[in-house]
Order: sequence, then C-alpha cells, then structure tokens
Amino acid sequence: MSRRRLSRRQFVTATALSSAALISAPYLRTAGAAGKLSIGLWDHWVPGANKTSTDLINEWAAKEKVEVSVDYITSQGSKLLLTQTAEAEAKSGHDILASGGPWQPQAFADLLEPMNDIMGPIVEQNGAVNGTVKYLGQADGKWLAVPAVIGSQIKGPCSRIDLMKKYADIDVQAMYPAGSPPKADNWTLDTFLKAAEACHKGGYPFGIGLGETTDSVDTAGAIFQSFGAELVNAKGDLTIKSDAVRQALEYYKKLISFLPPDVAAWDDASNNKWLISGKGAMILNPPSAWAVAKRDAPQIAAQCWTHGMPAGPKGRFAPYLPFFWSVWNFSKNKQAAKSLLTHLSQPTSIERLVEASGGYDLPAYEKLTNLKVWGEQEPPKGTLYHYPDPYHQEKLSIAASPAPPKIAQQIYTQATLTKMCLKYAHGEKMENTLAWAENQCEGFMRT
Amino acid sequence: MVDVAVRQGSVRGVRRASAGTRLRYALRRKSTVAFLMTLPLIVLIAVLVIYPAFYAIHLATLNKSMTRFVGFGNFQFLFKRDTFWMVVEQSCLFAITAVIFKALIGFIVAHFAHNIPSKKQRKWRGMLLVPWVIPPAMSTLAWLWLFDPSYSAFNYTLGLFGIAPIPWLGDAGWARFSVILVNVWYGAPFFMIMYLAALKSVPDQLYEAAAIDGANWWQRIWYVTLPMMRNIIAITTLFSLIVTFANFDIVRILTAGGPVDQTHLFATWAFRVGIEGRDIPLGASVSLFMAPILAIAAYFILRDVTKRGNEA
Amino acid sequence: MSTLAIDKAGPNRKIKYGSMSRDRVWALRWSYFFLTLFAVFSLTPPLYMLITSLKGSAEISAATNPWWVFHPTLSNYVELLGSNQYLRFFWNSAMVSVGVVVVTMLISVPAAFALARMKFWGSAVLATGIFLTYLIPDSLLFIPLFKMFAAIGDFTGIQLINRWYVLLFIYPTLTVPFCTWIMISYFASIPKEIDEAAIIDGASWFQTLTRIFIPVAMPGLIAATIFAFTVSWAQFLYPLVFTTSTDQLVLPVGIITTLIKGDVFNWGQIMTGALLGAAPPLVIYAFLMDYYIAGLTAGATKG
Repeated sequence: MSRRRLSRRQFVTATALSSAALISAPYLRTAGAAGKLSIGLWDHWVPGANKTSTDLINEWAAKEKVEVSVDYITSQGSKLLLTQTAEAEAKSGHDILASGGPWQPQAFADLLEPMNDIMGPIVEQNGAVNGTVKYLGQADGKWLAVPAVIGSQIKGPCSRIDLMKKYADIDVQAMYPAGSPPKADNWTLDTFLKAAEACHKGGYPFGIGLGETTDSVDTAGAIFQSFGAELVNAKGDLTIKSDAVRQALEYYKKLISFLPPDVAAWDDASNNKWLISGKGAMILNPPSAWAVAKRDAPQIAAQCWTHGMPAGPKGRFAPYLPFFWSVWNFSKNKQAAKSLLTHLSQPTSIERLVEASGGYDLPAYEKLTNLKVWGEQEPPKGTLYHYPDPYHQEKLSIAASPAPPKIAQQIYTQATLTKMCLKYAHGEKMENTLAWAENQCEGFMRT
Repeated sequence: MVDVAVRQGSVRGVRRASAGTRLRYALRRKSTVAFLMTLPLIVLIAVLVIYPAFYAIHLATLNKSMTRFVGFGNFQFLFKRDTFWMVVEQSCLFAITAVIFKALIGFIVAHFAHNIPSKKQRKWRGMLLVPWVIPPAMSTLAWLWLFDPSYSAFNYTLGLFGIAPIPWLGDAGWARFSVILVNVWYGAPFFMIMYLAALKSVPDQLYEAAAIDGANWWQRIWYVTLPMMRNIIAITTLFSLIVTFANFDIVRILTAGGPVDQTHLFATWAFRVGIEGRDIPLGASVSLFMAPILAIAAYFILRDVTKRGNEA
Repeated sequence: MSTLAIDKAGPNRKIKYGSMSRDRVWALRWSYFFLTLFAVFSLTPPLYMLITSLKGSAEISAATNPWWVFHPTLSNYVELLGSNQYLRFFWNSAMVSVGVVVVTMLISVPAAFALARMKFWGSAVLATGIFLTYLIPDSLLFIPLFKMFAAIGDFTGIQLINRWYVLLFIYPTLTVPFCTWIMISYFASIPKEIDEAAIIDGASWFQTLTRIFIPVAMPGLIAATIFAFTVSWAQFLYPLVFTTSTDQLVLPVGIITTLIKGDVFNWGQIMTGALLGAAPPLVIYAFLMDYYIAGLTAGATKG
C-alpha cells in the first residue's frame, strides 16, 4: 500500500531535522497534536524512491505530532493534473499537492497559498533558483509554489558511446568527461544534425519524439530557443513570422528526415524503449531510460552517457522540466504544510531524495548541483555526472517561454511547436505553417 | 399526479369488490403506482444527468477564468477554429466508419455462428465475445503494445515477410486506421451477440417457406432475416453510435489525439482543451456540441423504430 | 480442421432437406473459415497479453520474437497477486460492480415494469427519454458531477470524493438506461392476459411484478445483470477523476496508474494485470452466456 496513515510515530532521526526545526519553530508553538495533513506526491518510477519521501515525511510528522497521509499519484494519463483540477473545482483535497506539470502553479495561481515566507529562507540556504523556475513558480514576485525536488529533470542527450563513435565519430565521454568541465565548443546543432544523419545511415537513428507529450515538446522548446525562435514574446505579442522561427523549422525539417518514421506518435515512454531496445544512438531524456536499461539490458546501459545539449546560434539551451509542490489556499492546515515543505527542501532531505531516485531528481537550487550521487552512478562510471549541468554551461529552459505563462501553457499543452515542425516537414508551405501557428496562438490568448 | 388521493381508499376496496370493479380500481390507481415505480429512475436521471448537464451548459457560457458570462462567445470562438471543424469531421468519420464496420462484421459473424451446429456455437461465441469482455482501457494497452514503435509485434511479423515497419500510430492515415481498428475489435462482438440473439428469434418456418419458394441464400437474408432484424439493428446501431461518438479511452490511450490533432474526437479534444489546457468553459462547449449531433441521429432512428413498433 | 468438423456436424442437422445438404456443407465450410478468421482477430491481443505476461522484463527489452516466450516466468503473476495493492484494486472493483448491479436492478426493473405495462401520463416520453440520457456522455458530466459531490461534502460533511462508493452513485447513470430498455422489451413480450388474470385474482401490481414478471423474465434479468456488470467493471474515466488514493482505486485505473510511472511502462505486469482483470467477466460469460442470449432474444427483438 502506498497510502500510509501514521500518527505519532516514534521519533526516528533527530539529527537530520535540526535545521528544519529551526525554521519551523514558530509553527511548533501552535500545532496541536490532532493536526492532520494530507499530501499528494508524484508517484516515482524508481523503486524505493517513494519510500524515502514517505520516511522523510514521517520523520517530520513524528516530530511535529501531525497525522499525515501520503498518496502517490502518477502523472501518466494526466492523473495528477486531473486530481489537481478536480480539487480546484471542489475547493477541497490534499493540503500539499505535487503539480502535474510545470504550468500548474500559474494555472491555479489564484487558488494557491503564497510561499514567500518560506521560499526566502530556503533560497538563502540552498542558493538561487534558475530563471525558468522563477518564471514558472512566481507571479508578480509572489511564490506560488515550492520547487519540488521529486520529479524535476533535465532532458539532455543520453548517447550510446559506441554508436556515436562508430557512426558520427564523436567521443561523448571525451566531450563531457566525468569529473571535469565539458569540452563541448564544437558540440553545436550543426554537429548534432550531422551526427543524426550519420547514425540514421548507420541504422541507429536518434530517438527524438515529435508527439504531444512533455519529452517531445521540451526538446522542440530547447531547439527553438537555440535559434532564438519565440512564438509569442514576453510582452505577449505574436512573433511567429520571424526569421528565427523559420530557421528553427528548417532545422527541424532536416532533423525529422533522419528520425524514425513514427516519431509523430511518440510519447514519453517511446524514446526510453527506443534506447533500451538498442535501436537508437541517442535519445533526449532524463536518466530513466538508462536506469531501466541497467536492469533489463545491461550491455546497453554500459554504453550510455548522459550529457549536455548542442549549442545553437543563440546559445546552449537544455530542455528542463521542473515540478512544484503547492498548498491550496483552502487548505485547513497551511502552517503545517509550509513546515513540511521547508523540511523537504533542506539540503539533507534533498540529498536523500536525489539519492533515492538514483540521481534522477534535480534540485532547483544553485548550490545543490554537485551532490556526489551523480558522479557515482554507473555503469559506466560517471555516466550521470553531467546530467545536472554541474558547470552551469546551459540555460535551463522550458518550451514556449518567455511568453506570458497563461499563453505559454497553451502552446505547451497543445504542443504547437512539434505540430508546426511536423506540418512543415510533411510538405506544408512555410507561410501556411506560420499562419496556422499564428491562428493557434491567437486562440490561446483568450481570457 | 392527479390520482394520488385515490390511493389509500382503493386498496381495501379492491379486495371486496367484484372481479370487474377490482380491475377498474386497480387501473385507476395504476398510474400512481407506476409513477412511484419509475421515481428512482427519474430521480437518478434528473440529479445525476440532467442537472449536471445544465450545469455544464452554464459552464459553457462563462469566460475562460469562469468569472464572466459570455453567452455564445465560446461557440463563436470555436466556430472560427480549424481544429474544431477537424474534430467534428474526425468524430463523424470515426463514429460512422467504426459503426458500419462493427455492424457489418457483427452481422457476418453472427450469421456464420448461427449456421453452425448449436453445440459448437457456444465455444465459438465465447471466443468471439472475448474482446467485449476485457475492459477497453486494458485491451487498448495491449494494442498500444502491439503497435509500439520499438517493439511492435505486428511490424516484427511483417518484417518476416520483408515488409518495412508500418508507423501504426505515427502517420495520420495509419493512426486513424488503427484507432478505428481497435474500436471495431472492441465493439463488433456486441453487435454479434445482439444479432445472434435476433437471428435465433426468426422463426424457422419463414426460412422454410422461403426455401420452398426457391429463394437463394442472399434472398433469404434480404427478404427474411433483415426485415425481421430491423429494430434490433436500429437500436444496436444507435447505442453503438452514441458510445463510439463519445469514445474517450481508446483514442486517449492509443494516440491522445495525435499526430497533429488528426485523431482527436470530441471527448479527447474537450479533455485536452478543458482539463489539460485548463479552459473548462471551452472544454464544456466542445463536449456539449456532441449532444445535438447525436440527438439528430437518435431522432431519426427512434422515429423509425416507434413507427414500425406501432405497425406491429 | 474445418472439414473434419463438418463431417461430424453435417449429418446431425437439417439433413431432412435432402437436396440442400450439399449447400449446407459448403455453407458450413465457409462459416468455419470466416469464424476462424474472426476468432484470430479477436484473440490476438489477449493472446499477446498472455505471452507478454509470461516474460521477464529483460526478455521484453531484448526484442526477441515477440510471439514466443523463451524463458517463461510467473514472476509477474507472483508479484501482482502477492501485492496487497493489486488485491485491493480487485476487491474494490468487485464491490463496485456488484453494488452497481444491485442498484441498477432495483431501479430499472420496477421502472421497466411500469413503463411496459402501466401506461401513465408521460410514460411513452419517459421510455424514449431514458435512452436519450446516453446523449450526454461521461466526458461532459464529470466536472459538474465532481462539483456537485464536493458541494455535498461541504454542506453535509459526507465526503464522497476519493471514496470508491461514490462510483455506486455514478455508474448507474451508465447502466440503468440500457438495462431498463432491455427489461421493457422483455416485459412487453409477456402476454397481457397473464397479468390481467393476476390482477383480477387480486394480486397487487407489486405482486404481479415479483411473483409473475420477474420469474418469467429471469433470462432478461440475467442479461441486464451481465451488461451492468461489464460496464461497471470496465469504466475508466469516472474512477480516473473521482478516486485518487491507492486504496480507493478500481482495477483498470489502478493498473494503469500504479504500473505506469512517469515514462516507464512495466509491460509484463500491465499485461498480467489486464489479463487477471479480464478474468471475472470472462468467467461470468462462460457460465451465463446462454441466459444472456436467451434474454436478449425475447427482449431486444421486440423493440
């Protein structure tokens, strides 16, 4: 059972909690022993990861004498999103809920409890968060939610060392050596395209989805941004008919011809399977594919190397998908919720969570991108070292930014970017494609 | 109800009165009893279908943030969107094609199953019913696994004959085909069982008579079987048309509407727009649009059924 | 295979139309041919489920011949049946489905009787009208319904959201109209003289229903029961929306939401879960299919 209802558990580890206790001290005074808190977290795919978060919560609960119940809700089939929508409609539900995607804090902004009071100290302690997290998690300087460690990810390339060497003549390990800064100046979108072509010829095409789920959209977002292509700019003006967008589309058109024929239907699991089945030389994904390969196809996992994105004319952008924890403003126990979120955001807690996820989860904070867990993962040794972008050489970005979040969310969930690429690649005229996208975006500006 | 007052007194009266008056009394309070018997049904439909439906209509007249009344604004907006008309077209294409094939396959299979000795029928019927018994959310996962880009068992089999892999869900044409295929697979057994039931109720004498008149196989179907089954065909078709039109799980699990919205149906697009895009009023408007289209279909089919019902 | 079957089957049926027997043999041959074809079509996905369910995850990943199991293992079954979670889904599904069948019958049988036999003001409209409720699909109703149940929770303190029993209220909207329809047709096929005689003998309408109509219409009832059971067992959207806690989930949603995590599909277990989930309705069909067909024969053909 993953729903655990525990009250007043024995005090387990006091040491890990000392810093949390400091910050949550004001809360301690008012908490009655009968306080209750229900928590809905993202259901982690890594075996045992849920247990660690349950343990962390129980430790806190034992100390604070709060009765907690934890549900693990999958993001598959929009289950988490549905739950959130349903609770927003009903004005009742979990006190703390993980967001079902990056846009939920903005989408539910008017129903969320501001988090400024706890985010201030957390940021001071853990280091600044990147711009994308601010863009998604803040509205008018108000923190709508706390960046979640659990589930946050960078979808950088996960390459096959052997195949990349053999067909594209690229040594990814030399380019991104474990334990030292990347030597990736030549790792550009042009090199990437050539490598894609070479691997396609060799019979191991890159597995880059063009579907409507996050993996596909995030990749398209990063590539568009590498060209400086924005559909809607930060002010909310349509900027589709620009050279940057045209360049990005041209690039994608070429890229699509080197991809498997059914990428238009790929979902978040398709690229994982592509890598694990040994059919592709590269996918763009967090290390879940590698981790599953480690279990089911170890000879393939031993050839995997997770590294940084190629740079485009306007910089090096990484597809980034942060998750959040939010508290409803109709929650009956906001103080306890905030105290728990503070606890989960302590460096010690974060380290445990990241370790439990085998390095999959990424903290949003600057000072926490060098945890030793990433350097230790194997095979091959150091395969995840560059996963969290330890040298800050990439801009972590989300597709459709910097458009105003309400519009960007629509561009993101409707997968306008990948749809444009597909239309153009399948023979639609450039101007028609742009006009189509413009019509779509006009629709997204509805209030 | 007018008759409510009669209820109590009549109960005792019935027992003592003569047979004729008993019947008359019983008939007089009949409508009250009948009303009470249908009351749970009426309450259920009113509270859990009609009321929420009107509530949905109310939602459809609000603006995106649900703060302002916009009347038909959402519909005006929808009518200007290409995607909306694509969804209308695709839903009709999907529902009509799938229902035709379901009906056709159901009829053919039922006919063949009816042909064979009844002892063996059980076994065949059992096998052919399996698709309908498995919850569609699950069986669709099996199909998804069969269509998988990396592990497709179909493509593996085709590969043995030297045929290149087919992008089952990656190409608009194939994706539509696959979605309809799965729907037909799931829905055909329902038609089969309904038709088989109907076939059994056609009196053998009619066929014997037709045989004596020298009717061939095709004429027997056309002049005996089909006319006898008209009602059941109409009802099953209507029921299936509605369910297929409002289908959610199959398309949602297989393609989620892609590629490039080319397999979206009303339900999946409403979900995409309303829940995932968090535009509940627009989502409600999209799904409300299903109702009039279905109502037109229902009107024609039901009119036909009741007309013939009266003739009989 | 088909010819063999025909040799045995041929003589024992309709042999009396001497000149037609040749036709019949051919008809039978064609019948078996097409039935085999359709059976293959019907059974491929479930068979593939079975094959996949017997494979370990390493074998699935290895992309060997998908139609063959090289290293059969029952580990998926052991894991699923050994997990309290999966058994809980099963139990929830069973409770919901049985509960819905009972509620459905309690609502549709009296209503069908009244609509079939006791013409009253509005009965004709109602008989047609109930079927029209299917014009309002679940994908339209779930948001307003959710708001309604939440409001009930607010006003009365009775929490219905995220409880499996909320499904007992919602599923009947899917089952009752069709079951009522089946029962109306079935009741309508019972000769009027029977109930008139009963009424004259002093039976109340209620007695007429329970003593005469229900026993006579038993096959129809079984048919309606099977229908209601299948629909409740298979529903996906409503439980997806209304229940979130793992201990409240029913089978289809439980399998899809606990075995698929993020971008990692556990195919062996998903197929195992789906196969086991399909077992109860399959067993019921295996035993009651004849009733079902008999029930529909009398009911549906009348219309």
